Amino acid sequence: MKRFIAALFILPMLFSGAGADDGLIERIDALATGKLKDRAAQIEAISETGDARAVPALQALRDGSLYFRKSDKKVFLAEKSGSDFVLKDPLTAAEVETLSKSAVRKVKVNNRLRRQLTAVIGSMTLESPDPGTRLAAARTIFKTGDVSALEALEAAIRTEQNADVLAAMELARASALLKSDAETFEKVKAVELVGTRGGRDAVPLLKELESSQDESIAQAAGKQIAQIEKAQVLWNSAQTVWYGISLGSVLLLAAIGLAVTFGVMGVINMAHGEMVMLGAYTTFVVQEVIRGSFPGLFDYSLLMALPLAFLVAGACGFAMERGIIRFLYGRPLETLLATWGVSLILQQAIRTIFGPTNREVGNPSWMSGAYELGGLTLTANRLWIVVFALIVFAALFLVLKRTGFGLQMRAVTQNRKMASSMGIRTPWVDALTFALGSGIAGIAGVALSQIANVSPNLGQSYIIDSFMVVVFGGVGNLWGTLVGAMTLGIANKFLEPYAGAVLAKILILVFIILFIQKRPRGLFALKGRAVEA
Amino acid sequence: MITSFVFKALDRRAIWVIAVLVGLAVLVPLLNLALPAGHPLHVPNYAISLMGKYLTYALLALALDLVWGYCGILSLGHGAFFALGGYAMGMYLMRQIGARGVYGDPVLPDFMVFLNWQELPWFWYGFDQFWFAAIMIVLVPGALAFVFGWFAFRSRVTGVYLSIITQAMTYALLLAFFRNEMGFGGNNGLTDFKDILGYAIQADTTRAALFSASALALAAAFLICSGIVRSKFGKVLVAVRDAESRSRFFGYRVENVKLFVFVVSAMMAGVAGALYVPQVGIINPGEFAPANSIEVVIWTAVGGRGTLVGPIVGAVLVNAGKSVFTAAFPEFWLFALGALFVAVTLFLPKGIVGALSGLATRRPRRPAPVIRDAAGEAAE
Amino acid sequence: MSTLKNRIRSFGMATIVAATTASSAAWAEDTIKVGILHSLSGTMAISETTLKDVMLMLIEEQNEKGGLLGKQLEAVVVDPASDWPLFAEKARELLEVHEVAAVFGNWTSVSRKSVLPVFDELNGILFYPVQYEGEESQRNVFYTGAAPNQQAIPAVDYLLENEEVERWVLAGTDYVYPRTTNKILEAYLKSKGVSDEDIMINYTPFGHSDWQTIVADIKAFGSEGKKTAVVSTINGDANVPFYKELGNQGISATDIPVVAFSVGEEELAGLDTAPLVGHLAAWNYFQSVDTPENEAFIEAWKAFIGDEDRVTNDPMEAHYIGFNMWVKAVEKAGTTDVDTVIDEIIGVAVPNLSGGYSAMMPNHHITKPVLIGEIQEDGQFDIVDQTDGLVAGDAWSDYLPDSAKLISDWRKPLECGNFNVETQTCGGKGS
Repeated sequence: MKRFIAALFILPMLFSGAGADDGLIERIDALATGKLKDRAAQIEAISETGDARAVPALQALRDGSLYFRKSDKKVFLAEKSGSDFVLKDPLTAAEVETLSKSAVRKVKVNNRLRRQLTAVIGSMTLESPDPGTRLAAARTIFKTGDVSALEALEAAIRTEQNADVLAAMELARASALLKSDAETFEKVKAVELVGTRGGRDAVPLLKELESSQDESIAQAAGKQIAQIEKAQVLWNSAQTVWYGISLGSVLLLAAIGLAVTFGVMGVINMAHGEMVMLGAYTTFVVQEVIRGSFPGLFDYSLLMALPLAFLVAGACGFAMERGIIRFLYGRPLETLLATWGVSLILQQAIRTIFGPTNREVGNPSWMSGAYELGGLTLTANRLWIVVFALIVFAALFLVLKRTGFGLQMRAVTQNRKMASSMGIRTPWVDALTFALGSGIAGIAGVALSQIANVSPNLGQSYIIDSFMVVVFGGVGNLWGTLVGAMTLGIANKFLEPYAGAVLAKILILVFIILFIQKRPRGLFALKGRAVEA
Repeated sequence: MITSFVFKALDRRAIWVIAVLVGLAVLVPLLNLALPAGHPLHVPNYAISLMGKYLTYALLALALDLVWGYCGILSLGHGAFFALGGYAMGMYLMRQIGARGVYGDPVLPDFMVFLNWQELPWFWYGFDQFWFAAIMIVLVPGALAFVFGWFAFRSRVTGVYLSIITQAMTYALLLAFFRNEMGFGGNNGLTDFKDILGYAIQADTTRAALFSASALALAAAFLICSGIVRSKFGKVLVAVRDAESRSRFFGYRVENVKLFVFVVSAMMAGVAGALYVPQVGIINPGEFAPANSIEVVIWTAVGGRGTLVGPIVGAVLVNAGKSVFTAAFPEFWLFALGALFVAVTLFLPKGIVGALSGLATRRPRRPAPVIRDAAGEAAE
Repeated sequence: MSTLKNRIRSFGMATIVAATTASSAAWAEDTIKVGILHSLSGTMAISETTLKDVMLMLIEEQNEKGGLLGKQLEAVVVDPASDWPLFAEKARELLEVHEVAAVFGNWTSVSRKSVLPVFDELNGILFYPVQYEGEESQRNVFYTGAAPNQQAIPAVDYLLENEEVERWVLAGTDYVYPRTTNKILEAYLKSKGVSDEDIMINYTPFGHSDWQTIVADIKAFGSEGKKTAVVSTINGDANVPFYKELGNQGISATDIPVVAFSVGEEELAGLDTAPLVGHLAAWNYFQSVDTPENEAFIEAWKAFIGDEDRVTNDPMEAHYIGFNMWVKAVEKAGTTDVDTVIDEIIGVAVPNLSGGYSAMMPNHHITKPVLIGEIQEDGQFDIVDQTDGLVAGDAWSDYLPDSAKLISDWRKPLECGNFNVETQTCGGKGS
């Protein structure tokens, strides 16, 4: 404790020398007083000092981790530990004490203040020793076009050594200039710089100038916008294709297990969606265990969930085949009824165990965020799902074409009696095939848990789409499922901007109906005797 | 011709069924209206509309059985025809509200007023007349079935593919009717009805009359179905079901046979929907949900497909079970329902009626006739 | 039992129903029955099951306090299974077979519309706890959720004043509530001088899961140099993928804030809220409301449900208010007779959970405060704004031309839910 107190006294002196009593701490403590409305002025007062020591406190305020002690209204950086809060000094980040939740209160902040804080922190960190921080600061100023940061920027540009940071700062300066009262020629130059180097982010800045009083500025802005938008057209259709691929891969994931059970075995498995749901809930359980016991492993939760989901759904599928479906071979439409019954039971079971509400499945850090690729924005989770869907497809393909089990499976599909006479244990192959299809649905559930609701209704929302994909692609053909999923996904996304989301979907359905008239057995029809038998 | 059709339709079982239905149509309203509420034989109002609803479901299941049980067309979209008939009736009932809507607009239904529609869309014209609505009730589902069937049967879409595209059809209609721009009230559908044919829709007598109408409609449909399946045409139907290619080689125009019964069945479903709407008081796109159509298939299977009595028994039993279980074990009724479907398919492959008549006749077991349905062909 | 079996054979359902009627009549002497009409299965179970539980808790608490009029309350729970016509059937069962004194239930507008004729015909009482589109005022229904003027308009006002928003995306699921709310908001925004091209309206189907295109559109709409906000009336299930997509495409609340009317604590419980911090919601209650009443309510709820992590939300508070209003009205009337209670409940005021009193208005809507909250990392809301006083629910919006001329007053002598002030007539009473 003594050490603490000593640190409290010494540290501020070390950092700011004689300026220790310039009132910075009082200004920070003032944040605990007054209402939200007053806070803007309080932040302004802090930023006027230009004192970089205030940055951690401002950052904490923005991120909602700035608290004050109820007893004396002193402001601290707070870190949650259990139901208590560890309070740290706002300037030195030295631990002060640990208090219970009820003894502290958060310093309130809203979006408007967050924006103000971002700008303030940006101009205060321009001279930070870390080039990354400086770069981020410059980019923030570029986006906000904050005029008040102009002076600080110019000062920073004079001393900046790092070429990347310097370029960003110049761009930020140009952006700040746009709103300043600089000379026209200077502004036009700034417009050109912003337009040529700013990319898409420059558009909002330039749009504001389009209606400028000054003819030449408005013209320059208009020209830059036109150029950016022209370059964007191609990227836009690429983006739409990407959206289509990503929707297609979701469809593929949902349908690929069905392609096995329905396509290869001819079993109409209405409980297929529930296998997907089981996979998603397995992910949830895995994450809960990890959160509770091994928080450090959270990023690997999905990898761990994959085999488990495969096993859980696969085992469930195996049990279904052994318990119900095997009695129904030769009466395929009755499997529809029985599996529908199973799906009701599974849904209600999940509802009874996990409750009817959505369950939270978190995104690991590597599945959050987005990558910029030229004018394309690829969000990480979609990218991974596309990759994942293709891997699952390839793996399944290899299993079917390159393994002994796959060979037996295909043999049973083509001619059950002959396969049986050749010594293949057809019932065993059936059970394993069904388990494989269900297991793959479970794996799909792990992926879908990243983008959809994890609720007992999860399966229902995918079942119809999955059937459409398999039928459109052609029953019994994996390639058909792949091409079908991608075609429907991309077509849907190209229709959506014109027709709206609902009409696009209706049009796709009508298209499938008409397509089936033309090719009654789907895109890649099985040929030969198996078809008519 | 017609007399012989009717005569042929009436075997002993059919006479029984029709007698029971007509008896219900007379007796139940009497017990409801004539007896005082405290009387032990009094049928409460609640039960009247409930049973009326079951009867319309039974009619729908019967319609499905005609195409599935006798012609092997597994339609997963029969709910669509039912709902279309219901919407036609709903539109008539909507127009009957007239100026009594909350906004007091003499022509426009309330939902159009608050979405700022200025005039009635063209497809709402005529629905203020009952005769027009009555024609539309059979014509719209019939026309859809005709167009759909004309394409599908001609291109020889069969089996799973047919089932799935019927499902696609009802799903597309579901999405379309959800859209408020369609002018059918969007998600809320049509509701708050006041009169039917000038009688207040909530009056006890109207309710009883609707019940009777449902029972009689079911009896009439039973007669028609019975006539169809017992005629020479019925034999062709079964032939198409059991060996489509062979029937075709014999010179039957399989697609025409299928198209005819598909259209008849759709019209019956439309009538069922039209009777359903005034009794439950609402029609909305939820009726198009593919799950509903699958449920109809399940009623039919539970009762016993390919036996005209089966679907009626199945529809009434499953729905009565649903009514009892949702009140008695709200949290667990889905388990019961799910288990029922599994159990019936596993242990009663011919449905309840099939199993019972199997017991009753005690005939030596013959090899069961292979009912070849669609997926069967692909699977074998 | 064997006699029952025979009767079932000969007489079908009628007897089952009759039998239950008889048995329930015997029960009715000892208890006052309260019907709970919330879906426990199907798509809406996700939201409605909680409301069933909260009703059971309130009834249990009331019974511990000695019941009502010296009798114990008995909850009658049925499951309408998210099937709208089934709602009507179950409502009829509650009123006719179980003879309940009042029903608490429904979530979606369509389910409410489906049961209205039943409550009208059988003269029951329904308490409806969810925010809705307004444009309705029925004698037998009490609307304890928010009308558009108690949620949407204050939220837009907040964005106009505090965030200085100039461009608006009105995104909703395609059904009546979003349609009507967006109509009202559009008229309201235009009255505030917002031009047509600064309003983008977008509708999506129920359960929409692929938001890539729409979120990209919103992003593009928002990059025109004017401050943009999204007003979301997106329904339940579609929200999770929507917010996930927002987070992934890097739209933070400081860029384009989203204010939602259907996203509460319960919905956030299924979400990783870290990327959503700062997005807004407008409700009449948040779990984070800091009052002793609320603290007691949360504690009782957690104890009742046996789960420390369960949250409370706005419709739960609406049931809390509605149930207490009904109890108070019954005590005042000395009977559970429907007509008497309907007359007595107008003007009844009970404490709400945000530290004030909510009163039942003559138009069967209630007064409530409007709170604006920002989503926090822990899935709770930080209240950033609150209306000064209570806002009275307006059944008929002033921003829709046909509804502006209607008023609702169920007191004598008017006794009309849609009185047209221009023609001085009560609509819908033509027969």
